[in-house]
Amino acid sequence: MNVDYLSMMVILPILASIFLLILTSRLNPAARAKFDAPVRMAAFIISLAMFAVATLMFLGQIGDVGWNDIAFNTFEFQESYVWIEQLGITWTVGVDGLSFPMVWLTTLLMPITIIATWNEKAGATYFPLMLMLGGALIGVFVALDMFMFYVFWELTLIPMFFMILKWGGKDRKYAAQKFFIYTFTASVIMLLGLLTMYFLMDTQTFSMQEMVVQASGANASGVWLGLEVQKVLFIMLMLGFLVKLPAAPFHTWLPDAHVQAPTGGSMMLAGVMLKMGAYGMFRLPISLFPHALEEFQFIIMMIGLVSLVWGAIVCLGQTNLKKMVAYSSVSHMGVILLGIASMQPLGWAAALFMMFAHGIISPMLFAVCGAFKHHYHSMEIGAMRGMAKHSPWLATSMMFGWMASLGLPLLAGFVAELMLMVAYWYAYGWWIIFPGLVLAITAAYYLWSMQRTIFEGGEATQPPESLHGEPVPDIDNSEKIAMLLLAAFTILFGIMPWIFLDMMDMWTRSAMAFLGLGGA
Amino acid sequence: MSTENDFDMDMIETLGPEFTVFVGLLLIMIVPNLGNGTFRIPGTPIRLPWFLGGTRFKAVASPRLPGLLAVLTMALALFQVVWYLLDATPADGQDIMAGGVFIFKVNMFSRIFEAIFFAALLLAAIASLDRLPIGSQKSDDIDVLFNNRRQADFYILMLTSALGMSVVALAQDMFVLFVGLELASFSTYILVAFHKESRAGSEGGAKYFIVGSVASAVGLYGLSMLYLWAGSLQFHELAAQWEAQGATSLSMMALGFVLVGFAFKISAAPFHFAAPDAYSGANSPVAGVLATASKAMGMLGLMRVLLIITVPEATADGSAIWIGLLGVLAAVTMTWGNIAALGSENPKRMLAYSSVAHAGYMLAALTAIGAWNWGLVDNAGVAMDVVVAALLFHMFVLVFFKLGAFLVLGVLEMEGGASRLSSLAGLGKREPLLAVAMFLFMISLAGVPPMAGFLSKLLVIMGIVEVATGTGSLSSIGDAHWVWWLALLMVINSAISMFYYLRIGVVMYFHEPEEGRKGPLASGASIRIAIALCAIGTVAFGLVGGELIDLCRDAAESLR
Repeated sequence: MNVDYLSMMVILPILASIFLLILTSRLNPAARAKFDAPVRMAAFIISLAMFAVATLMFLGQIGDVGWNDIAFNTFEFQESYVWIEQLGITWTVGVDGLSFPMVWLTTLLMPITIIATWNEKAGATYFPLMLMLGGALIGVFVALDMFMFYVFWELTLIPMFFMILKWGGKDRKYAAQKFFIYTFTASVIMLLGLLTMYFLMDTQTFSMQEMVVQASGANASGVWLGLEVQKVLFIMLMLGFLVKLPAAPFHTWLPDAHVQAPTGGSMMLAGVMLKMGAYGMFRLPISLFPHALEEFQFIIMMIGLVSLVWGAIVCLGQTNLKKMVAYSSVSHMGVILLGIASMQPLGWAAALFMMFAHGIISPMLFAVCGAFKHHYHSMEIGAMRGMAKHSPWLATSMMFGWMASLGLPLLAGFVAELMLMVAYWYAYGWWIIFPGLVLAITAAYYLWSMQRTIFEGGEATQPPESLHGEPVPDIDNSEKIAMLLLAAFTILFGIMPWIFLDMMDMWTRSAMAFLGLGGA
Repeated sequence: MSTENDFDMDMIETLGPEFTVFVGLLLIMIVPNLGNGTFRIPGTPIRLPWFLGGTRFKAVASPRLPGLLAVLTMALALFQVVWYLLDATPADGQDIMAGGVFIFKVNMFSRIFEAIFFAALLLAAIASLDRLPIGSQKSDDIDVLFNNRRQADFYILMLTSALGMSVVALAQDMFVLFVGLELASFSTYILVAFHKESRAGSEGGAKYFIVGSVASAVGLYGLSMLYLWAGSLQFHELAAQWEAQGATSLSMMALGFVLVGFAFKISAAPFHFAAPDAYSGANSPVAGVLATASKAMGMLGLMRVLLIITVPEATADGSAIWIGLLGVLAAVTMTWGNIAALGSENPKRMLAYSSVAHAGYMLAALTAIGAWNWGLVDNAGVAMDVVVAALLFHMFVLVFFKLGAFLVLGVLEMEGGASRLSSLAGLGKREPLLAVAMFLFMISLAGVPPMAGFLSKLLVIMGIVEVATGTGSLSSIGDAHWVWWLALLMVINSAISMFYYLRIGVVMYFHEPEEGRKGPLASGASIRIAIALCAIGTVAFGLVGGELIDLCRDAAESLR
C-alpha cells in the first residue's frame, strides 16, 4: 500500500490540533486544567510518531531512497493531488536534499520542545498550538506548489502569534503584533512577485518543479523573463525571505519576538521558523533567477556581513540573556547569506549545514534561557552569580550551548563555520577578516556572559535577588532530558556531519551545475 | 433566448425567486393582521367576516411570526436562485420585455448577484430573530409592546430591500435599475434609523438619508442627460450609441454623474463620509447588509454602466476612457479607508472603514478590466471574465466574513452596545467559539490563508496582474500596464490593514472584560447559528473554493 507520509505529516498534526482545541474550548478554566496532561501526552505521542516516520524515511525503512543521490529539482516521496482545479492549484509534496534535513529537524524539535516545556501553563491550549505550528512548518518544507507553499508560509504565523500573545512576557502584545505585521508585509510583497512571475511564464504553472525546468531552459540561452524583470522579481521574493530570516535591516522584530515569546515558542522560532527564510531563498529566487543572483551577489554578501557584524556587536551590549541569544541568531543568519553570496558549492553547503546546525543549537540556547526565566524569574545577566555551584546542571547546559554556538570544534556549529570560512576565502579573499573578527566578538560576549553567571561570585554563592531568598533550584528532569538530547545531537552532528551533509552537498553541487553558477 | 411580453405562468416561473420575495412580503403584511374582524355591508346590519383586524387569532399573534416568515421567504428565494445557478449555463438568458422594451434579463450574472443579496439578507434575518428584542406578550411595559409591534415593520423593510436589489440585478434599463436602487435604498435608510430611540441610530440614519438622496439626485440628473444624449435608457441602446458616437462631452458628464450615485453605494472615497456613521448607528445585522449586499448592488451598477455601456475605444492604447479616473479613485479609496480604520476605536466604524478599503480593492479590479484591450492581452473577453469572476467571488465570500464580523458585534450589542473596542475585551474567555469565529473573520478580511478572504484577494490581484502583464515578455516591470502598481498598492494596504484586524484579536483574547461584562454573553441561538454559517463559509470557500470560482466564471461569461 502506498501511503503518502509527507501529506500525513502535514495534515495530521493540524487536524489533531484543531480537534484538541475544539474539544477543550467549551470547558471552564478549572475543567480545562484537568485536560492539560492528556492533551500534552497526545501531542507528545503525535510528535514522536512524526519523528519516527521521518527517521524511518531517512533510514530507508519507509520507502527506499538513496538520500545522497538526489539531484537538484528531483524529489522523493512526491505525491500530487488536485486542489483548486480552476486555478491550476495542486497539493504537491516531495522532499529533496534541501528540504529533508529541515523536515527531520522539525520533527526532532517538536518532541524535544514539548519535553523542555513539559510544565507550561494552560497546556491544553499550548500543546495543540505546538502541533499546529509543527504541521504548518513541515507543510512549508514539503510544498512543491507555489500556492500551497504560500498558504503554509502564512499559516505558521497564526499559532506563533498566539503562543507569543498568550504565554509571552510583559510586552507580548507589542511583540506579537510586530512579529505578525513584519512578516506579513514582507510575504504579501513576495506574493505579488510570485503572481507577477506566474503570469509572465510561458506556460503558467504553480508547480515549483516545472517552474525551475522552464526557468533553466530560458536561463541557459539568455535571461528568463529579461534581466530587468528578473531583478525586480528577485528583490520582491528575496524581501519576503530576508525579513523572515531575518537579515539587517529587517531584523528588529526578532529580538522583540524572542524576548517576549515563551520558551517553546522561541525554540521553534529560532530552530525552524527562521530557516524558512533561508529555505525559501534556495527554493525560489535562487533556483529561478541565477542571473539576478549574480547581479546581486555583492549586495547579498554585504547584507550578510552587516547582519553578522551588527548582530555580534549588539550582543556585546546586551544585559538581557535572551536578547543576547536573539541577536546571536541574527548574526548566525548572516552567515547563511555569506554562504549564499560566496557562490561556491562549499559555501552553499555551509549555508545549508548552518541552517541545520543552528536549528539544533539555538533551541538549546533558548531552552537555557527559558530555564533561567523559569527558575530565577530574571533574565538579567548580572542578576545571578556562581551558578556552577548552586545549579550545576543549568550551568553545564549553558556552557555547552554557548560553546556550541561560538563554534567549538567537534560540535555541529564548527563544521558549518569552517566550511563557510574556506568558501568565503575563495570567493572574497581578504574580506575574510570581517567574519573572522566576528568570531572573536562572538567568543567575547559568550565568554563574558558565562563568566558573569556561572563562575563569578567568589566562595559564597550568590543566589539571584529575584528569588527573594528562596532556595535556588536547579533545572527539573524534563528540562534535563531536553538539554541532554539537544547536546547529544549537537555532538553527533559535530562528529558525523556527513549524515546530512552528504545530501546537502549533492544538492548544492547539482544545483550549481544545473543553474550554471560558480565553479561547479 | 425567449422573449415574453405578457404576464403569464412562464414569467412567474422565470422570475420565481422574485415572486417568492413578493409573496413573502404580502404575507408578512397580511398574516399578522388576521383576526376575527368583520365587514358590515353598507346600509345593512349584515356583518361578513373578512378576517382582517379585530381580535387577532392566537396562531398569528406571536411577535416572532414576521421574522420567521422573512427567514423562510429569503431561504426559499435563495434556494431557487442557487437551484437556477447550478443548472444554468453561461449561454442561458431570458428577457422580460414590455411593449418592445427590455425590462429584465435573467441569466447567471444577474442570478449570482441575487444569490449574494439573498444570502446576506437571509443571514441578517436569522440573526435579527435574536437581535431585535421580543418581550412577553403579556407584559404591560410600553417598550415591550412597542418592540413587539414593530417586528413586522423591520422584516417588511428587509424584504422590500431584497426586492429592490433583485430589480437592480435583473434590470436591462437604466430607469428600471434606478427604481430598484431607490426601493432598496429607501428601505435601508429606514433600517439604519430603525432604533429611533437611540441617538446614534437616528443620527446615522438621517446622515445616510441626506447624503444618499443627494447622491441619488445627482445620479438621476446624470440619467436625464444620458436620455438626452441617447434618446433611450435601454442598456443595449446606450451601448450602441456609445459605439456610434464615442465619448462626447455630454455623455461623459452624464456618466460621471451616474457614477457618483453608485460610488456612494459602494462607499468609495470621497463619497464615503456617511458610511461610518450609518454603520455605527445601525444595528449590526443591518450594518452587515449595508457592507455586503448594498455594496454589491452599487458594484453591480458600476459594472453595468462601465462594462456594458462604455465599450472601450477611442483612447490611444485601447483601454477604456474612464480607466485613469477610476484608478485614482481606487488608490485613494483603499488607502483612505485603511488609514482611517487604523485610528478608529469603535469596532463598527473600523469595519465601516475596512469596507471602504475593500471598495477600493474592487475598484482596482474594475480599473484593470478597463485596460482589457491594452495591446498585450490576447483575448480581451477572457481577461475581462477573469477579473469579473474575481470580483463576483470577492463579493460573494465577503458576505460570510464581513457580515459575520458584524453579527459577532451584534451579540455584544444585545448586552448593551459594541461601540468601543473594549466592548470586545475578554471575549476569548467569555465565549471562546465566538472569539474564534471573530478571529477567523478578521484574518479573512486581512487576507490570510487559508481563509476565503485570501482566495478572493488572490483572485483579484491575479486578475489585475494578468491584465497588467498581458502575454508576457516584458523588458522591465515598468513596461507592464500601470494597473500593476495598483496591485502593489493593494498588497501594501493589506499589510497596513493587518494592524487593526490583529488588534481585535489582541483585545478579544488578552484584555480584561469591561466592568459589568464579565458574565456569559446574552443568549440567542439563531444569531449564533448565523455566525456559525458565516464561519463555515469563510473557511470552506477558502479551502475548496474551486466550485464557486467555476460558477463565478460562468456568470462572468454570461455578462458578455
